[in-house]
Amino acid sequence: MIDLEIKNSKKQLTVAVAGNPNSGKSTLINAIAGTRLQVGNWSGVTVEKKEASFKHGNLNIRIVDLPGTYSLSPYSQEEVIARNYLINMKPDLIVNVVDATNLERNLYLTVQLLELGIPLLMALNIYDESEKKGYKINVRKIEEMLRIKVVPTIATQKSGLENLLLEIESFASKPKNEILPMLHYNNDLDNSIKNVVEEIKPAYEYLNENKLRWLAIKIIEGDELVLKEFGIKNRNELINQFCGHLIKGHDSDLESLIADARYGIATGLSHEVLEKPKIQKEEITEKIDRIVLNRYLGIPIFLLAMWLMFKLTFDIANPFVDLIDGITAGPMNRWFAFLLASINSPAWFISLVTDGIIAGVGFVLVFVPVIFAMMFFITFLEGSGYMARAAFVMDKAMHGIGLHGKSFIPLLLGFGCNVPSIYATRTLENEKDKILTSLIVPFMSCGARLPVYVIFSSAFFPGNGGFILWLLYVIGIGVAVVSGLIFKKTLFKGENSLFIMELPPYRMPTMKSLMIHTWEKGKHFLVKAGTYILAVSIFIWFLLNLPWGVENKKDSFLGIAGQVAAPVLEPIGFGNWEAASALITGVIAKEIVVGTMAEIYVDNLDEPEKEELSFGNDIKEIGIGFYDAVKSAGINISSTFSIATITAEEDSGLSTLKGVIQTKFTPLAAISFMIFVLLYMPCIITGVAYKQEFGTWKWYGISLINGFGAAWILSLIVYQGGLLLGFGG
Amino acid sequence: MNLSQLKPGSKSRILKIGSVGPLKRRLMDMGVLVGEEIIVEKIAPMGDPIEIKIKNYKLSLRKKEAAEIEVEECV
Ligand SMILES: Nc1nc2c(ncn2[C@@H]2O[C@H](COP(=O)(O)OP(=O)(O)O)[C@@H](O)[C@H]2O)c(=O)[nH]1
Ligand SMILES: [Mg+2]
Repeated sequence: MIDLEIKNSKKQLTVAVAGNPNSGKSTLINAIAGTRLQVGNWSGVTVEKKEASFKHGNLNIRIVDLPGTYSLSPYSQEEVIARNYLINMKPDLIVNVVDATNLERNLYLTVQLLELGIPLLMALNIYDESEKKGYKINVRKIEEMLRIKVVPTIATQKSGLENLLLEIESFASKPKNEILPMLHYNNDLDNSIKNVVEEIKPAYEYLNENKLRWLAIKIIEGDELVLKEFGIKNRNELINQFCGHLIKGHDSDLESLIADARYGIATGLSHEVLEKPKIQKEEITEKIDRIVLNRYLGIPIFLLAMWLMFKLTFDIANPFVDLIDGITAGPMNRWFAFLLASINSPAWFISLVTDGIIAGVGFVLVFVPVIFAMMFFITFLEGSGYMARAAFVMDKAMHGIGLHGKSFIPLLLGFGCNVPSIYATRTLENEKDKILTSLIVPFMSCGARLPVYVIFSSAFFPGNGGFILWLLYVIGIGVAVVSGLIFKKTLFKGENSLFIMELPPYRMPTMKSLMIHTWEKGKHFLVKAGTYILAVSIFIWFLLNLPWGVENKKDSFLGIAGQVAAPVLEPIGFGNWEAASALITGVIAKEIVVGTMAEIYVDNLDEPEKEELSFGNDIKEIGIGFYDAVKSAGINISSTFSIATITAEEDSGLSTLKGVIQTKFTPLAAISFMIFVLLYMPCIITGVAYKQEFGTWKWYGISLINGFGAAWILSLIVYQGGLLLGFGG
Repeated sequence: MNLSQLKPGSKSRILKIGSVGPLKRRLMDMGVLVGEEIIVEKIAPMGDPIEIKIKNYKLSLRKKEAAEIEVEECV
C-alpha cells in the first residue's frame, strides 16, 4: 500500500525539447535519457520522433524531442509538427536548447516559443565553444530580461545537465496555470495587440491571457493554420480596425512586421547580454571550408569522402554479413534439420523451416550490419556539419534533375544496396525531395544484381564483361535521370523546394550519440522489416512447393505464375516460363533470380548435405537452391563492385547453368534480360523501407510500376531494335 | 542590384525582398531581413549555390533565390 501511495504521489511532467537544428538537441537528449530513448516517427510523417520516460526524484518525466526548427511559422513539415505538438498537446514545460555561439538567430525561436504562453526553461548549450571564442554571455541578464530560467550546458561533456534537471524539478513544484510574463515588442504593435485581445476576448473566454495574446499576434501575422483552427473569419476587419497605422508604415506586410518585431527583441537582447572580443580569431570552420569548399578541390574532396564512406560502410558490414550468413546457413540450418528429423517431422516441414523460415531470418539479419554501418556514417556526416557542405557542392548537378544537393548520398549508397539508401533519404528536409530521391534510388544498380550480370555476360560476352557491366550502370543512371525529370514534371509538378540551408560550424559528434542513433535505427529495421521479409520468404517457399507434392517445377504455383507471365516477356526476348518464374522470385532480391534459374534449368546440382542427412527429394532440392541464392545475395550486398569474389564463388552447378543459358537465350535476349533485371523492380525489402519511411505502400507501388514500365520499354527497344538491325542470331 | 550578382568578399545591405510566400517566409525565419548586412563568402564549385554570412552565421542559397533579394553594396 505504501508503495502504491508513493507511486501515486509522483508527479507526471511532460517536457518538450525545442531548438534550432544543430543546437545540440539530440546530444542533450541522448545525454539525459541515454538508452531509454525511443526513436519512432511522428504519426503519418517521415520526421523522426524521439522520446523517453524516466523517473527523477519524485517526478515521472516524459521528454519529447521536437524536430529542429528555426521558427514556428508553417514553412516546413518540421515546423508544423513542432507547433502542432506545442499547441495541441500542451506540454508542461519547454526546454529551449539554444546555441550559445549563435545567440541572435536562436533567440528568434525563443521569442516565438515564449509567445505560446508555455513555461520555458533555456538550456544555453555549446557553452564551451562560445567561451573558447571569447564570448562573454551575461546569463543573469537573459533571465532578467526574458523572465525565465537559463542554464548553461555542454551536452557533449554532460555538463550542466544536473542543473537543468534541478530546474525542471523546481519548476514542477510550482503551481500550474500561472500567468506568465509577456514580451513587449514596440508601443505601436503592443497597442494593436492589446486592442485585438479586447475584441476577441468575449468569443474565447476559455483562453487565458497568455493564449489570447498569442492568438492576437497570430491574427495580426495572418497565420492561416491558426485562423482556420480558431474559426476566425473577420481578420480583415480586425486589421483595418486596429492595425491601420501599422500597415501604412510597413508596406502592408504584417507578417514581416511581426518578424521584425521578434528579431528586434532577439537582436536587442543579444546586444545587451553578449560581449564579443574585439579581434576574432579565424575559426577552424573557416579554415576547413577554405579547402573543402574550394573551387577546384571541393568536388574531388567530396568524391573522396563519398568513396571512403561507401567503402567503409560495406567493408565494415562485410565480415558481419559473412558471420551471420555462416551461422544461419551452416549450423543453425543443419541443427534445425537434424532436430526436426529426429522427432520424425515430415520432409516438407523440415524444408519449410530451414529453407523458408531460417533462410528468411538469415536474409533479414544480413541486412542489419549494412544498415548499422550506414546509419553510423550518415549520422556522423550530419552531426559533424559536412552533410550541408556535401549538399552545397553537389546541388547544382542534382537540382538539374529536380533533386536536392543532399540527394546525392542516398543515390550513391544505392549502388551498394537500395535498402539503406531509402533510409538515408531522411537527411533531406523536404518531403518532396525525400520521395523523389527514393523513387530514383532503385535504378542505382545494387550489389545483388551483379551475380545476374556476371552469369549472363560471362556466358555470352566473355572478355567483355567489364564493358557490359559499365554499360548497365550507365543505363541505370540514365533511366534515373529521365525518371527524375518525368516525376518532376508530373507527380511533383509546381512544387519547388528551396535550398536555404545553414552551413553549421564543424563539430565532433559524440560516440554515444552516434551509437544510440545507429542502434535505434538497426533495431527498428530488424523488428519491422523482419516480419515482412519472413512472410515473403515463406510465401515464396509455398509458391515453389504447392500444389502438394508437385514433381515437375513447371506445375508448381511458381511455374504456373511463370507461364502466365511469360507472354508479356515474349516481345522482349525471353518469353519462357523459366525466365518468368526466376524473375518472380527476384522480388526478394534480384540475386535470387540466378538461384531459381539454376534450380529450374539444372536438375542435378551437387548436394553434399543430401546424402548425409538423406531426406532429399525434389522439394528439398528446390529449397536448397533457393536457400543458396538467398545466401549469396547476402554476400553480394557487401561485395559491391568486386566481381572477382563472385566469379570465384561460381561452383560447378553455376557453370552448368551457364551452358544451359547459352542454349536458352540469344546474346541479344541476354542483353535484354540483363537490362530488365537492372530495372524491373525494387526488391521487397526496399519496399518495406519505403513503407517505413513514408508510412504507406503507395510509393513502392509507384516505384514498381515505374520500374517495370522502364524495364519493359527499354528491353523492348533494345531487343526489337537489335532484331531489326540483324543481331537476332 | 540583387544578391546573386555579387562577388565573393563583397559586403552589402538588404533593401528589399522581392518574392512572397514560402521563400520570403523562410528567408525571414533565417534572419534575412531588410536592413541586414550580408557578406558573400563563397560560390559553390559548380557556380551555384552561394554561401553568405548573415547575423554572424553561414547560410547557403541558390542564385535563383538570391536574385529575389535586392541589395546595395556597402564598404
Ligand atoms: N562543443 C560542443 N559541441 C556540441 C555540444 N552539443 C552538441 N554538440 C555537437 O554539435 C553537433 C550537433 O549536435 P546535434 O545533437 O546533432 O544537434 P541537433 O541538430 O540539435 O540534434 C554534434 O556534432 C554535437 O556533438 C556542446 O555543448 N558543445
Ligand atoms: Mg538532431
